[in-house]
Amino acid sequence: MDRNQLMAEIKQILIGVLNHENFEMNEALTATDVDGWDSLTHMMIISEVEKKFSIAFKLKELNKMRNMGDMLDLVASKL
Amino acid sequence: MDTYILRKATQNDIGFLTEVVIAAEKSNSNKLSYATLFGVSEEQAKQHIAAMFDEEIEGCELSFESFVIAEHDGKPVAAFGAWIEGVDDETPSKILKSNLIGYTFGREAVEFLKTKAHIIKDLITEREPNTLQFEYLFVSDAHRGKNLSNGIIQKLEELAKERYPQLHKAQVQLYANNASAIKVYERNGFSAASSHESNDPEILNYLPFNEKIIMEKTYK
Repeated sequence: MDRNQLMAEIKQILIGVLNHENFEMNEALTATDVDGWDSLTHMMIISEVEKKFSIAFKLKELNKMRNMGDMLDLVASKL
Repeated sequence: MDTYILRKATQNDIGFLTEVVIAAEKSNSNKLSYATLFGVSEEQAKQHIAAMFDEEIEGCELSFESFVIAEHDGKPVAAFGAWIEGVDDETPSKILKSNLIGYTFGREAVEFLKTKAHIIKDLITEREPNTLQFEYLFVSDAHRGKNLSNGIIQKLEELAKERYPQLHKAQVQLYANNASAIKVYERNGFSAASSHESNDPEILNYLPFNEKIIMEKTYK
């Protein structure tokens, strides 16, 4: 899966969990930039990403993620 | 006269800190959100809380290093935690804590939480970056009324100012019906700054109360 396709898939997950698409999907995107990306929805986003791609994150990997670019790198490394 | 020693918590205190979190989360009710919102028993929640402390993730409320403990006769009798939120653009505590919970509780528990999220969403509050965030105050029954919380709060403030001299504000979130805690914070210079209420009819099945307040204190 190429990076743009991966980003598009994750965007759909964000929309599904957050119930809106008022954000611009890009590599620099962080939770702080997106309305409703809070402690509850973060847990769901991570869980949905794991399910979608049949992967599992380690705690250290999760805590190192700073932005969407990091998430894409991490997911891609597990596919 | 009773003598107390105030000290930073260590990994050896995880058992006590787990009890502290449970008592503080219940906030004089019988609802432990770590159990009710994740569809697990209190015993399972207790094991998960201890496991989360064991990971020692700094910068959120589940880091043992953020706690100061009051000890009496060699035993911990009170504790309170505080950390500086997102200092120097560090990851916000909400993300660190979510990662910890999701990882520790597992997918089934997160799936359960999804079905309850609508009930509690109005009580989710943001923590302000670069502020001192207090969480999980507990004083055991036999040691109440001895100003232990004041001493611990002062100690936590000293530690925070050593680490981050430009500290300008502290915040604490608590249930609005927790009158005794509100008094403790008022005595220490905090005052109510905002509140968040949920009118969801089911909320009291999952949380101790339907309204949270944020109290604040500023430093010169």
